[in-house]
Amino acid sequence: MGSRLRVLFFSSLLAALAVACAAPPGISPSATLPSPSLAATPSTPPETSYPVTLTDDAGRSVTLDGEPRRIISLAPSNTEIACALDACGELAGVPDYKVGYPNDVLAAIKDLPVVVSFGPVDREAIVAARPDLILAAGNELTPSTDITALADLGYPVLVLYPESLDEVSADIELVGAALNAQAEAAQVTSDMADRVAAVETAVAGMDQPRTFYEVSIFEGTIYTAGEDSFLASLIETAGGAPITGDAKTTAISLEDLVTADPQLILLGDAAYDSTITAKSVGKRQGWSGMAAVKDDRVLPLPEDILITRPGPRIVDGLEALARAIHPEAFE
Amino acid sequence: MTTAVATPLASLRDVQFSYARHGREPLDVLRGVDLELQAGELVALLGANGSGKTTLLRLLSGALHAGAGAVMVAGRPVGEWPRLALAQRVAVLPQHMELPEGFRVAELVAMGRAPHARRLFGSTAEDELAVERALRDANAVDLADRYPHELSGGERQRVLVAMALAQEPQLLLLDEPTLHLDLAHQVSLLQRLRRLHAQRGLTVLAVLHDVNLAAAFAPRVVLLDGGRVAADGAPDDVLTPEALAQVFGVRMEAVTTESGARSLILSLD
Amino acid sequence: MRTAVAAGEARPLRMGGSVTRSLVVLGGGAVLLMALVIAAVGVGSADVSVGDTAAILAHRLLGLPLPQTWPATAETIIFDIRLPRVLTAMLVGGGLAMAGTVFQALLRNPLADPYVIGTAAGASFGAALGIAAPLVLPALAIGAGSSLLGLGVVQLLAFGGGLGTVLVVYAVARSAGRVQVITLLLTGYAVSSVLAAMVALLMFMSGRALGAIFGWLMGSLANASWPALAFATPLLLASFVLLLARWRRINLLLLGDAQAASLGTDVEREKLVLTLLATLATSAAVAVSGTIGFVGLVVPHLLRLLIGPDHRLLLPASLLAGAGLLVLADLGARLVPGGGIPVGVVTALIGAPFFLWLLRRSRLARVELSA
Repeated sequence: MGSRLRVLFFSSLLAALAVACAAPPGISPSATLPSPSLAATPSTPPETSYPVTLTDDAGRSVTLDGEPRRIISLAPSNTEIACALDACGELAGVPDYKVGYPNDVLAAIKDLPVVVSFGPVDREAIVAARPDLILAAGNELTPSTDITALADLGYPVLVLYPESLDEVSADIELVGAALNAQAEAAQVTSDMADRVAAVETAVAGMDQPRTFYEVSIFEGTIYTAGEDSFLASLIETAGGAPITGDAKTTAISLEDLVTADPQLILLGDAAYDSTITAKSVGKRQGWSGMAAVKDDRVLPLPEDILITRPGPRIVDGLEALARAIHPEAFE
Repeated sequence: MTTAVATPLASLRDVQFSYARHGREPLDVLRGVDLELQAGELVALLGANGSGKTTLLRLLSGALHAGAGAVMVAGRPVGEWPRLALAQRVAVLPQHMELPEGFRVAELVAMGRAPHARRLFGSTAEDELAVERALRDANAVDLADRYPHELSGGERQRVLVAMALAQEPQLLLLDEPTLHLDLAHQVSLLQRLRRLHAQRGLTVLAVLHDVNLAAAFAPRVVLLDGGRVAADGAPDDVLTPEALAQVFGVRMEAVTTESGARSLILSLD
Repeated sequence: MRTAVAAGEARPLRMGGSVTRSLVVLGGGAVLLMALVIAAVGVGSADVSVGDTAAILAHRLLGLPLPQTWPATAETIIFDIRLPRVLTAMLVGGGLAMAGTVFQALLRNPLADPYVIGTAAGASFGAALGIAAPLVLPALAIGAGSSLLGLGVVQLLAFGGGLGTVLVVYAVARSAGRVQVITLLLTGYAVSSVLAAMVALLMFMSGRALGAIFGWLMGSLANASWPALAFATPLLLASFVLLLARWRRINLLLLGDAQAASLGTDVEREKLVLTLLATLATSAAVAVSGTIGFVGLVVPHLLRLLIGPDHRLLLPASLLAGAGLLVLADLGARLVPGGGIPVGVVTALIGAPFFLWLLRRSRLARVELSA
């Protein structure tokens, strides 16, 4: 028993750290997968002809025999994508996490069976829901063992893991192709592109403040946007110069943060923890010397869900970021 | 009974043994021991602490291998006997033995049947008979349903004797079986051993530390000194005050009691 | 057991009776286990009616040509999800309990568990390596998703890690051709500590795979599959049979090395064989389900308190009880909504307080005895 307890003891400390930064399913602000390739998105014919073979973000080749009528979503972002494509009514199973949805989506999904809470999926519930399409999340947010098992049981599983705004649009188009909703997908992505362009125009030419986005802070370890991550690219698009952490662990040491001297601190974790405020940050040991603290530019960001959920409302998140970084551009 | 030409049941010929020690010179214990045990003999082994008595027993049981010389049991070198076959012939009553908790005495004694066990999961009628006899001969029948932690020192010794007897050995090696026993139990144990030796034809080699008890019960006494056999023969011949003074370093006097028995008493000034 | 002894006569002890009684108890236990297994297959997070469950089992397992009156999803749930999982729980639970029984006897320590001489640390290290290494060095992602003998890379590394570590520990603990129990324990402890630290390091470097590694450490039957079962079953069954047959020798080891030897046991060889068989069972179990705790410690310990240390009965009883316990624990784990929790959490939650209760009870008993 001693040896097991020791392994668990050593690792539970680290696990606690990881759990803290893995809280809501959404964007994991680290870039470790090779970028996905989107192959068979037909550009002109608005109708999908079945059977159709698509390549998902994990490089897997997935064949759909007919238009899906019962869709299982294993991540909130996937739920929102389906609903954006008018397929809310075809959802047959959703994750447990019911926070941060627009009201119409919430109404549509509130009585649906829960098939995953966090970690391994409920395979029986998925089978019982008789799906003909499963939208999974990449980067082990849906465990790869579950993806393999579900695929082995014969279900088409599309793994979605976008790591940039373009890839979110590509994923929406991928799902549109899968659902024979390409016209809707084109509409959604074109709206998104327009709004992104508007943000880029609004912040063009402005000074890019050194921006630190606090994803979470736990037992002294600070988690932020990883180097080259989706979150970092969002901050850049919104007109900021992101201070980034380690590409894999997304952690940044306090010393490195102090050296980087952020001019603006955005508190993503304040959306979930009301004890995190500009004042509480100012009181943290070693933080008071930062430019952002001295100039009182520490902002809680309640839109963190939008910023970290890689679905159709990511642009809402982008806009929230831009407003926080360059309030003067959006008066 | 003891014709010189009969093959001895057990023998040691010029046996030497040293214990290896970490980072130090090996400890020489036996430096050339010659000893023969004929079938059916009852022999007491005496000597000072560290003289090699336990080592000698362990060589005979196959637990140790001699550095030089030959140790034979039932006509073969002890190392050539398959373990089970040797265990069917030789039983050891060690100085210390932990009795595991949770087993009843009857079950512990039954473990002594292991070398003879033939059935995979059960026991034969033979086994059960042997256990019954062993308990009876060791005067431990009333202890059969008790547990080790309930036993007194004397009772434990009876159980250990029963366990050894259950093996139905030809040769019984006893290492200080009277340790931890009060005088009455010492006497009763040795009396029982004598009876068993007579009834079953057991060959017994017992390490004893009480000179008088050894003299009273064993027709033959072997005295170990300095890793060799210092004397070997009838008690009166072996256990002389001179020999004892040399081996044990104490002065003893031989005294003849009114009933004609010979006793050795310590002579302290 | 008191027998009236006529002068000079010996009447056989009635030991045969206890063998029959043991067989009855074990037989009853086996029947109970089967009933439990069938019941467990009938319950889960999705609803499948009893009739459908029975029909599906009869059709697929017994080959009865029944008309298909049940939905296809029910058959998938019963046969592809629940049945392999429950059978795996049965075998893994039995294997861990049996291995625990053997180690407790071998190491003469009632607090030993099947992992104590390094199996858990070695298997965890292998699994963590399999999970994390391809992420740290993408070049190592060869074989990801492929399977050999029904096991994925991670499971094979876990199996090899567990078995290999014990062999190393055993070899290191050996001196002059003998292995002393205390040396084995201490060496196992030392090697386990080193490996545990390396696992922690891998976890730290693993980033997103941290959850996967931690879940593996907790032990879970969620990834039970027919191929994995096909790998583990022959190993576990073989070790069960071979260990059951060695009950007498295990009993003798309890008398101490010297006495066991004088009763004909080749003590060093026996220790090695027992270690290997128990480790084989443990490694096979860990390969398919991660390091599930407490089953291998509490089941033998509890049974020993209830039925005594005679391994003729204790070994098969541990097997049955461990199997039943894990089937029940996994049932509880599966029923937690939203995908269930790792069964290792359930066994720890039940096992730890139960174990404390056991300790207290046996300590009190010992106090009474010595009074």
